[in-house]
Amino acid sequence: MPMGHTATAEAGSGGLTATEHRLANGLRVVLSEDHLTPVAAVCLWYDVGSRHEVEGRTGLAHLFEHLMFQGSKQVHGNGHFELVQGAGGSLNGTTSFERTNYFETMPTHQLELALWLEADRMGSLLAALDDESMENQRDVVKNERRQRYDNVPYGTAFEKLTALAYPEGHPYHHTPIGSMADLDAATLEDARTFFRTYYAPNNAVLSVVGDIDPEQTLAWVEKYFGSIPGHDGKPAPRDGGLPEVIGEQLREVVVEDVPARALMAAYRLPEDGTRACDAADLALTVLGGGESSRLHNRLVRRDRTAVAAGFGLLRLAGAPSLGWLDVKTSGGVEVPAIEAAVDEELARFAAEGPTAEEMERAQAQLEREWLDRLGTVAGRADELCRFAVLFGDPQLALTAVDRVLAVTADEVREVAAARLRPDNRAVLVYEPVEGPEADENSDEEEGADQ
Amino acid sequence: MTDAAVSLTSMEFHPQPQPGAARPWAFPAPERGALDNGLTVLRCHRPGQQVVAVEIFVDAPLDAEPEGLDGVATIMARALSEGTTERGAEEFAAELERCGATLDAHADHPGVRVSLEVPVSRLRKALGLVAEALISPAFDADEVKRLVDNRLDEIPHEAANPSRRAAKQLYKELFPATARMSRPRQGTKETVEAIDAEAVRAFYDAHVRPAAATAVVVGDLTGVDLDEVLAETLGGWTGKPAAPRPMPPITADDTGRVVIVDRPGAVQTQLLIGRIGPDRHDAVWAAQVLGVYCLGGTLTSRLDAVLREEKGYTYGVRAFGQVLRSDGEGHGASMLAISGSIDTPNTGPALDDLWKVLRTLAEGGLTDAERDIAVQNLVGVAPLKYETAASVAATLSDQVEQHLPDDYQARLYARLAETGTVEATAAVVSAFPVDRLVTVLVGDAAQIEEPVRALGIGEVTVVS
Repeated sequence: MPMGHTATAEAGSGGLTATEHRLANGLRVVLSEDHLTPVAAVCLWYDVGSRHEVEGRTGLAHLFEHLMFQGSKQVHGNGHFELVQGAGGSLNGTTSFERTNYFETMPTHQLELALWLEADRMGSLLAALDDESMENQRDVVKNERRQRYDNVPYGTAFEKLTALAYPEGHPYHHTPIGSMADLDAATLEDARTFFRTYYAPNNAVLSVVGDIDPEQTLAWVEKYFGSIPGHDGKPAPRDGGLPEVIGEQLREVVVEDVPARALMAAYRLPEDGTRACDAADLALTVLGGGESSRLHNRLVRRDRTAVAAGFGLLRLAGAPSLGWLDVKTSGGVEVPAIEAAVDEELARFAAEGPTAEEMERAQAQLEREWLDRLGTVAGRADELCRFAVLFGDPQLALTAVDRVLAVTADEVREVAAARLRPDNRAVLVYEPVEGPEADENSDEEEGADQ
Repeated sequence: MTDAAVSLTSMEFHPQPQPGAARPWAFPAPERGALDNGLTVLRCHRPGQQVVAVEIFVDAPLDAEPEGLDGVATIMARALSEGTTERGAEEFAAELERCGATLDAHADHPGVRVSLEVPVSRLRKALGLVAEALISPAFDADEVKRLVDNRLDEIPHEAANPSRRAAKQLYKELFPATARMSRPRQGTKETVEAIDAEAVRAFYDAHVRPAAATAVVVGDLTGVDLDEVLAETLGGWTGKPAAPRPMPPITADDTGRVVIVDRPGAVQTQLLIGRIGPDRHDAVWAAQVLGVYCLGGTLTSRLDAVLREEKGYTYGVRAFGQVLRSDGEGHGASMLAISGSIDTPNTGPALDDLWKVLRTLAEGGLTDAERDIAVQNLVGVAPLKYETAASVAATLSDQVEQHLPDDYQARLYARLAETGTVEATAAVVSAFPVDRLVTVLVGDAAQIEEPVRALGIGEVTVVS
């Protein structure tokens, strides 16, 4: 078996190490030992996400992810779920723009089972895939879409924002859940072709983290995955490159049955994996992360025009990342008042940059988030796969926090000045169908935290 | 399938592997102690967990809120982190975040919970801030007014959320109007509007004191002199001794019936089917956990096997038991419920199937195989579930809040392993009797009312 190099703990990795290996069929393997708890996490990232989907088949990558739990040659129907849960493990899969991941966290002594299961479906899914599971999971996914997006207030906001921020035809123009029409249109043959195109060992990274014996683990990986043939038929995803700034302010006003007005916006930000993206993360944290952020202090505490105000960052490697502003208005406050305040705060920040204390706070927050991510074997396994798939080097996961801590206040100011500008955002405004006052006569049904 | 079969020829298949020997694991046993001021302390060293979790439970239950001031416990809990006599609200939040900490404080039926998570290197400073919040909160009139207004703004958002709306209706249906449990935990528009700084201060003075509180500290405490840290922080908290508050009896009307909360145009029906049952002090709890898991714990459980994996009516339906409140004397109760979302046109057929699943279970019982898988899962996932300090601290604090012994969770795993199929069947069948379930449906009444009436699962009423 071809063995990779053995890494030693790098400075700032918190004592964590990872080793890299590659099977002859191209499967990349990352191992990280940690014997504190008798558990082992298995994580498999396939380098395929919604950005690989073609017109008329949005949602296919995610629908396909569901089909991966419907059995393979040696695993009947829901056997994958049954066997993992019956072994005391937990499992799931998720689909995003840039990847599809599958993961099991197992008691140590059941690790081999998880590897066997993942290999079985990587190598033989099509032996079990049939119309019945396709039709059933199509209905399940459509209900997932209804439950998470269509049946909740503001549920489709993210979909609308990405559609605005990434132009028509761009691979990130649509979100992984896909449209109802395209979900209806997907065929069994589409699913088969998708599998043959993207599900191959040389298009995946497998990480195993926790209470493992690396040599034994590698031997199991070779035994179960080693004979799965690799293939090179995968087309490159469409180019996600875009100008750094949009160049104009895009805007959509949605009149819907929502409980309050809302101002949302998507800003184009630097790609993940760059120092500028880390700087942008710090900028958004100072401006809109947590209870001491500038926007929270301004809109929620001082002006009292918002119920909640914050910024989030969607890191993307193959296209500009997305900074997502979300402000829900208070009472009868109108959106322009909020927008003016947001612009004022962003302009001030672009001019002055963060204070030393704000930098310290933002870095402390992001450091804790990293400790949380790397504090569980499953979180660590996922991050190792992420850096291996998107940036070619899993070791980068272990030093990510150092890179965030190395960013300077000036770099934060710079990225804010360059990107957090009105001509670099897509704005989404929600206006309730009736004015908020119309709710006054229905006090009866208001309020519940139960 | 033929070309698929061709590509399979090159993969070598192996039989399903057998498990190795399990490494023993036990739910951590905390060390119990008390500070001079009467504060109970549970501590638990978890190697490798660099983010320490601190949970402080205060015996300030919702039923202690004065008449007409529902929500005052919530506003008080939120106001704790909105400034102290030493520093204003903005400075307090900034100092806490400078520690890389998160702080959450909320009020529920049993009392108020303050939850801190912070990297161990900054534990002393962050716990100092939490102590400051508990010892000398400012309760500034203007800040309280802001929190009240903010809470009022949240209410319409909750009403518009189908699952929150369903829960509110179910509690209203189950409990007598005079019981605090029948009303929203965080108050209604009328009651929240009546809350001011004086009311918040009065609630704090009456209930928040170290003798009525327990702090749980979990994480990698290597090199931390926790006694010293506690003495310098929570040790400065003073207050009168506290007698435990008696718990009002919990009763519920589980006459089988259906309430449709009309949400015109909804593409799905949010369903919440519930009644109350025993709490963890009851000997049946372990069997009930097991049986309820078999009914609706995961997507291979009975409900999802039909509703999701066979029919595709839903993204998932879950059954669960959740303790509402316990007093340690056997008078406590839990909410037993089934929840999920069904696409609107299939609401009637899905409910029909759901009832069939319950009837089939009552008639035929669980199989030994189902019971075995459930035990293996519930017991086997424990080391995964309790990997982080926060998850251990939350369970220890739940035990405190429910008047359970510190080794309750550890013993629960032993009891689950001993529980047989017959006991698990009996527990889940008596947890969900088909004629004693209150069904709340938040959905488009114009489309779902008739099909639901036709099922004959109880009187149907429609509310807006």
